[in-house]
Amino acid sequence: MENPDIIISILSAIILSLLIAVIVFVQQFHKSQESLKKLKDSFERLDEQAKLIVKTDLELNKAQEELDKRLNGLDALQKTSRRITTTLDEQEIFQRLDKSMIINFGFEKNLVFIHDKTGKLQPRLNLGFSDKDVLTIIAQIEKDTSIINTLKEGHTISSANAQHQRKEFLMRLLNSNYFVLAPILTKNGMIGIVFVGNSAYAETVTESDEEIVSILASQIGQATENARLFEEAFRASQILETKVHERTQQLASALEDVQNISKSKSEFISSVSHELRTPLTSIKGYASILMAGKLGEVPEEVRKRLEKINIHSDNLVQFINNLLDISRIESGRVEMNMTKCALAAIIENVHDLLTPQLKDKNIEWKTDIDPNIPDMLLDQHQAERIFINLISNAIKFTPPGGIIMVKAHANSQVVAVTVSDTGMGINEKDIPKLFDEFYRVDNEINQQVKGTGLGLALVKKIVEAHRGRIWVTSQLNKGSTFHFTLPIQ
Amino acid sequence: MSVHIGIGFSQDLNAEQAAREAAENAQNKLGFGRIDLAMVFSTTHYDPHTALSAIHNTIRCSKLIGCSTAGIILADSIQTRGIAVLAIASEEIKFGIGLAKIFDKTDLYQTGMEFAKNTLKNFGFQGRQVFLSFIDGKIPDHSPFLKGLQEILGNIFPIIGAGSSDDFYFEKTFQFYQDTASNNSAVGLILGGQMGIGVAGRHGWRPLGKPRIITESDQNIIKKIDGEKASFLYEDYFQGEADKLYSSLLSQITILYPLGIYVEGNKEYLLRNPVKVLKDGSIVCQGDIPPGAEIHIMIGNKDSCKQAAREAAQEAQKNLLGKKPKLIIIIESMTRLKLLGRTAFQEIAGVKEIFGDDVPMIGMYSHGEICPFESLEKFRKPLIQNESIVILAIS
Repeated sequence: MENPDIIISILSAIILSLLIAVIVFVQQFHKSQESLKKLKDSFERLDEQAKLIVKTDLELNKAQEELDKRLNGLDALQKTSRRITTTLDEQEIFQRLDKSMIINFGFEKNLVFIHDKTGKLQPRLNLGFSDKDVLTIIAQIEKDTSIINTLKEGHTISSANAQHQRKEFLMRLLNSNYFVLAPILTKNGMIGIVFVGNSAYAETVTESDEEIVSILASQIGQATENARLFEEAFRASQILETKVHERTQQLASALEDVQNISKSKSEFISSVSHELRTPLTSIKGYASILMAGKLGEVPEEVRKRLEKINIHSDNLVQFINNLLDISRIESGRVEMNMTKCALAAIIENVHDLLTPQLKDKNIEWKTDIDPNIPDMLLDQHQAERIFINLISNAIKFTPPGGIIMVKAHANSQVVAVTVSDTGMGINEKDIPKLFDEFYRVDNEINQQVKGTGLGLALVKKIVEAHRGRIWVTSQLNKGSTFHFTLPIQ
Repeated sequence: MSVHIGIGFSQDLNAEQAAREAAENAQNKLGFGRIDLAMVFSTTHYDPHTALSAIHNTIRCSKLIGCSTAGIILADSIQTRGIAVLAIASEEIKFGIGLAKIFDKTDLYQTGMEFAKNTLKNFGFQGRQVFLSFIDGKIPDHSPFLKGLQEILGNIFPIIGAGSSDDFYFEKTFQFYQDTASNNSAVGLILGGQMGIGVAGRHGWRPLGKPRIITESDQNIIKKIDGEKASFLYEDYFQGEADKLYSSLLSQITILYPLGIYVEGNKEYLLRNPVKVLKDGSIVCQGDIPPGAEIHIMIGNKDSCKQAAREAAQEAQKNLLGKKPKLIIIIESMTRLKLLGRTAFQEIAGVKEIFGDDVPMIGMYSHGEICPFESLEKFRKPLIQNESIVILAIS
């Protein structure tokens, strides 16, 4: 303490140092304050950004949830559709639309009502309600015409779109915080109602729920309508089937009558023909004896009459023979004597037989016979009768100078034969009856030349007895063509 | 070492039929005459008394526990309606079960202790490995109960827990114990003996926005955040949407954006779902809230959830020390089911990829989970979480 100056200097230095330290500290403090403020500002900016992120994220989450719900609904719809559209039984539609399927739509309660014939709603599906609850719900809904009318107009009613009072009423009635009611519509209007609902917090109803339930109701409506149409069609077909059966029985009975009559007719013809042929043979025999002069000289006038008796007797015998043949073929009493025959040879034989008549009328004879036609199994005598009848007819109706052509060609199964002429042709109206027994076309030639009307009927019977078919085509004044087939085997 | 496991499931709409079918399936798949333990999970579409009675009439099991759930996790699907039965028969694994009734004025801490003691008594003097409990999810604060359990079992003993749920109705949940289905109760299972376990839990949510401080709280109630009423946090972020906080128990907002509490030493934030917002703006949570803690609004998405599930599976697998698991039990928050929606099974498929397709798997969707969560400490302490997935692998 000897040198106060030194002490003062030291103290001054200390105070100065302290002063400097305070100044530095204050500067540092201000710096820290600024940094802290900057940090706070950064946090605030960060928080503002976070709020934006949260807002976007929340919207994304809502969109995602809605999308998930829609996808679930569509998936459930697709499964439901596949199940209910593959049946045409109304009862089965609702069996297939079982409760577990409804759960897939994300709802825990479900009711499906369908109008019965009296227009009253009947429960067809029930998930989550007692029978007593269901009856109460039906009664309340049917009583509220405004609800029914809204649904009839095709609108859905949901906890999202219903007015407050109606929403409260339905929430209480259906014991569901969230619900959708959709009409089941068909072309004929509303046939029922679908309800789905949830009381869980997790399942709120959105527009996509309404859409999905509406589509489900449409599917039920479509499936039910299809089932009902099918039911109607099925019933109609059953009635038709019964009628067809009755008519078939009537026709079978009529056919049996006709067959019996035909049989009686054949037997009658056969019997009469036999009875006629015996005295006819005697008549022809006695006429021949008289003509031969064995019983004395016969005057010329008598001879002429006896010759007429002889010719008419021959015609009558021919007629009776044809009748007998038809009758036998019809009744199956004629047994076909099938042997291997060459068709070309048969045609040539018949040509030889009829050559005089062809020459008489100066008719040109032409053939086009396939040389590759194999030998066929035929009753040669009957086959010759086919050609004799057809060619004789052609000669009869072909004017002098005309042409008759016979063609025969084979395919793998049958030989097709045609006999064509350049005659007067057949009127179209006569064609369907041409092969009927005793039918004779009313034309000039038939009026002049007598005939029995049995020739073509006999031809048809013989062709059919060979399992063939016969038909005719013709043009008036140009000619006719008779077609027939004979099986090769 | 032989462990027989059979899992049966039925979705029949009739409770009796569904329970019978599930039990029969479990017995058939077990392929063994005796059942030492049956674990039953049922959605709330079924009358629990009818279901339990049908199960007991179908199979003979010496011990049965289970609970109601918002959904059932199976190896090949996730079902939001149905009954599942897990049947186990083993000479090596030992089982002890217990029941605790919880009344309005019950001291949950005391009940938790009694519950642990009773379950241990049923288990006997054997090496215990893990405690599994199902507690009524409607009980507001699970923390004192957990503390009571830890008092007896030890602070770091692995406890896995689930709050039984009822698919967002928040009306009535059930706990199954032997032939009784009750609510306001907890059922527990101690597993031990010659077995290995791998336990892990994750949530996958990340903090969003600026950190805030819980300035006032009382057990499971957050009263003030940054000096403002607690609900202001949500009101500030969600404005118009925040009205819904008051109108529903667990709103969409709080499911998607839970609260995250930073806990020193934990790798993930501790998640809390606000289960209720009181008129004064206080937020009620399922577990205790430490005052002074840093709190955030949390954000997650489907990918972060799936990634968290994979990480939990990988950690549980790692804890098995190379042994192949014989059974996987999953406890997962029902809020994750809501968030994941149609993609929920993708999360489980990710878990299956870790353990293998052939490992039997069963799980339930819970309302609150208990699990030793990932922490920096060697010994992990079980905590109450929300929105998490907990995986128990047994080898």
